[in-house]
Amino acid sequence: MLKLRKFLPKQGSDSNFWHRKSRNPRAGPGIFLAKTLMRLKKKYKRIFISAAIVTTATVAGFVLASLIPEPPEAQVTRARIALSEAMSNNAHTYSKNLYREAKSFYDSAMISWQRENERFIWFRDYSRTEEFAGLSEQKARQASRISRNNVTDLNILIGQKLEKLNHIAGQIDLRFDGYPLSSEIWTRISKGRMLLKESEVAYKKGDFALAREKVAASELLLVDSYEEANEHLSEYFESFPKWKQWVDRTIRDSRQNQSYAIIIDKYSRKCLVYLGGVKKYEYDVELGKNWVGDKKQRGDKATPEGMYRVVKKFGTGRTKYHKALLIDYPNDADKAEFRKAVADGTLPRSARIGSLIEIHGEGGRGYNWTEGCMSLINEEMDLVYRIAGEGTPVTIVGSTVSLDKLHE
Amino acid sequence: MKMKKRVLMGLAVISMVAVLTSCGKKPQAEIDAVNAAIEAAKTAEAATYLPAEFAALQDSLNAVMTAITAKESKMFKNFKTEVAKLAEVTTLANTVTANVAAKKEEVKAEVANMMTSIKTVIDENATLIPKLPRGKEGAAVIEQIKADVATVDAAVAEAQGLFDKGSFMDAMNKIKAAKEKADGLNAEVKEVLTKARIRF
Repeated sequence: MLKLRKFLPKQGSDSNFWHRKSRNPRAGPGIFLAKTLMRLKKKYKRIFISAAIVTTATVAGFVLASLIPEPPEAQVTRARIALSEAMSNNAHTYSKNLYREAKSFYDSAMISWQRENERFIWFRDYSRTEEFAGLSEQKARQASRISRNNVTDLNILIGQKLEKLNHIAGQIDLRFDGYPLSSEIWTRISKGRMLLKESEVAYKKGDFALAREKVAASELLLVDSYEEANEHLSEYFESFPKWKQWVDRTIRDSRQNQSYAIIIDKYSRKCLVYLGGVKKYEYDVELGKNWVGDKKQRGDKATPEGMYRVVKKFGTGRTKYHKALLIDYPNDADKAEFRKAVADGTLPRSARIGSLIEIHGEGGRGYNWTEGCMSLINEEMDLVYRIAGEGTPVTIVGSTVSLDKLHE
Repeated sequence: MKMKKRVLMGLAVISMVAVLTSCGKKPQAEIDAVNAAIEAAKTAEAATYLPAEFAALQDSLNAVMTAITAKESKMFKNFKTEVAKLAEVTTLANTVTANVAAKKEEVKAEVANMMTSIKTVIDENATLIPKLPRGKEGAAVIEQIKADVATVDAAVAEAQGLFDKGSFMDAMNKIKAAKEKADGLNAEVKEVLTKARIRF
């Protein structure tokens, strides 16, 4: 600036020099230079001001931008991924409440975020959104973990329950096949088995929730029915000490007399032939339809229980059942019991005592079908017929084995 | 005076640019379209028939919505990428809906086949059971068989109800179990008849 001043006219010569235009274009080179410099100065001044404005605006922009709150995208994304993982881990089924909570927190996070977005940019506050997203992520991860554990536990638990119930179903087959349980019990067993199958189908598909539901319903029916049937069986086996006595005496007599003896085991549906106290033959036998319990009266389709003897033999042509051995039912004890039952009103006065109980052929039908007799297949009947004579002991018992030793 | 005007002008231009660039509108129409497509997949029971695909679809939507909301949080918004993603999710949702329909048809056909097949077994059982020896009436085995027949009938009726309602997956579970039971019963009846030397 000082250097420029020497080109300027002396002060006082033209005091208004800075503010007026040159009236004389031929005023000389000094004046021209000075004017050019002045123009340049004005230009620099504008550039300087513009630069200052831009810089200020940029700085202000940066400052303002730095004041804009950071959106919680990362937290929300983490929550979303955690939720998605929870879904893949079936948390919506196996950790329902936690998953629902996680989802609800996620929705709240999104709503809160959108609500904040509606506010003026510098006034936004995403802390609630972050909080919701954090809770959602936490709950979703928890739901995932619990769901995975539940699936593993359910897999084991249902597997064990299925095994247990299949065992019970097997025991029912083993213990009660042909056992005259009430139709109501059979209906429950049948429904229980169907539910067990449905549970197995769901289990194989990996639908443990459905499998659990079905297995629980099945368990209720099968276990209850099994227990009820067992109670029925236990009641029947209360006579076991008496049966054992009869069986022991029959075998002892057979040993002492070195003779044949026939023992009928009703529960296992076996005809056991003893000689000299040793079991020689064992055949399948079919009984009366209502075989559980002692015979009470004529027509009850029950096979009697007691110690009897063969009283008559009917060869081929003398019976419609191939061959037959008639036993001395009713014996004195049966008659006394029948009279007592009529007297105490257990049986009606019109009741008649049963008779004509035989061991005969035409068996092998696979179920209990007689009116109270014991039926063998013809080939086996031939042998029994041959060895048995009039007087051969025939002991009929519910079982030769105690209930606790059955199916061991 | 002139300078002042220019400064004001500059500020106005900057503000305009800021206002204009921040005016990228949320792609509401595309969001509505994708929501409608997902709703259609949901109505088609995608969650039941194609659970994994449906879950992936929902996750995709959530991801886009997060991105959109994140953009909305910014001063300068441009939803081009999100619009493209929304279109992809809509296409995916439509594909899932179509696949669900195909899967549903497949399950429906399978259940219908099983229904026909179980009905054949039930009819056969109905013909065989009266052939069981008369002596068997009232006996334990017939009680078991009767109970099983009733259970199978009830299960088939239930499965048919579910089928008629369009719950093919539930009907499938039911009918599978019923079929196993009916087959077992058929084998049992045939065994008894064979043992009793009765022709069937």
